[in-house]
Amino acid sequence: MDVEFRIRRFDGEKSYWQTFNIPVKRGMTVLEGLYYIKENLDGSLTFRASCRMAICGSCAVKINGKPRLACETQILEIGNSLEVEPLDNFKVIKDLVTDFEGFFKKHEAVKPYLIRKDDNYEEPVELIQSPKELHAYYDFTLCVKCGACYSVCPAAATRDDYLGPAAITAAYRFNADSRDEGEKIRLALVCGDNGVWRCHFAAECSEVCPKQIDPAKAVQKIRFKSAIETIKSIFR
Amino acid sequence: MVMWQKWFSVKGKSLFSIAFSLHRLTGVVLTIYLCMHLAYLTSIRMGKEVFESFIATTVTPQFLIFDILLVLAGIYHGVNGLRLILHEFGLTYESRKSILYVSVAIVLIVWLIASYRMYTFVMGV
Repeated sequence: MDVEFRIRRFDGEKSYWQTFNIPVKRGMTVLEGLYYIKENLDGSLTFRASCRMAICGSCAVKINGKPRLACETQILEIGNSLEVEPLDNFKVIKDLVTDFEGFFKKHEAVKPYLIRKDDNYEEPVELIQSPKELHAYYDFTLCVKCGACYSVCPAAATRDDYLGPAAITAAYRFNADSRDEGEKIRLALVCGDNGVWRCHFAAECSEVCPKQIDPAKAVQKIRFKSAIETIKSIFR
Repeated sequence: MVMWQKWFSVKGKSLFSIAFSLHRLTGVVLTIYLCMHLAYLTSIRMGKEVFESFIATTVTPQFLIFDILLVLAGIYHGVNGLRLILHEFGLTYESRKSILYVSVAIVLIVWLIASYRMYTFVMGV
């Protein structure tokens, strides 16, 4: 069966649509379709991919208007005509490749690692955690930083310095970790007007997340915490 | 596609994005209406006759459709705003789909009742 791939391309100067017809077998993914085009029809087609198993998050693209991981989206589940575009809210470098530098800088800015006062790398100690404590944040560890949430966020679309759902989710993941002691540091970083207060709860981030992480929930949880801390600070 | 055009694009969007876009659009409509409403009320400073002539122009069957649409915008903005406040307090986001459907149902019911009351008032039936 032949399937039509309409791909939004960008050559550094102009953006245009190009159509390819490719033979598709049952189970074939969009990423395999892109590789077929690159290897057989047009070697100049550029896209980003790595693990091919929905772990690395590299291959997120817009397929028929919705951001998805190309490696886990089967072509025949979509239909016999596909439109593939680069993610919104990111600068396009070439074809389907977008610039993630700012996205990763925002992620780094929220200190996405355990902060402890008793760090001792000479004599490390095991940090005990109960299953209940693990489940408080486990879902949020599944983020693959694919940028799908950021690409659909209307708050990110209208303000470049907004941290975005992925970075705030990373902050929440560590704040909710019972081993962490850096909650106040992270709250100060994400509770500004370019952080949680910029969110308008369109909730589209949770709708498109390929890992079903629910970033909107993490943003609202931190926002509520931020409100409580602000009220408390008035009475201190 | 420029930003405002994206507000009207529904391709690939979930109901939440559509609800968000409608919230913004109704917000703009209500802001414009508020300015017009204040200007309208200020006309009373020019005399009772001027104000009553405005009333005679706008409270008419010809204007009823605009009033009904304005009420829809107001009810939608209010009910959807309450839904957002609920979620932004960190509550019920797991049930957000059901709550969105319930909000839309409330909007439609209240709007239909309000429209009927306005229709009977303006048409005198």
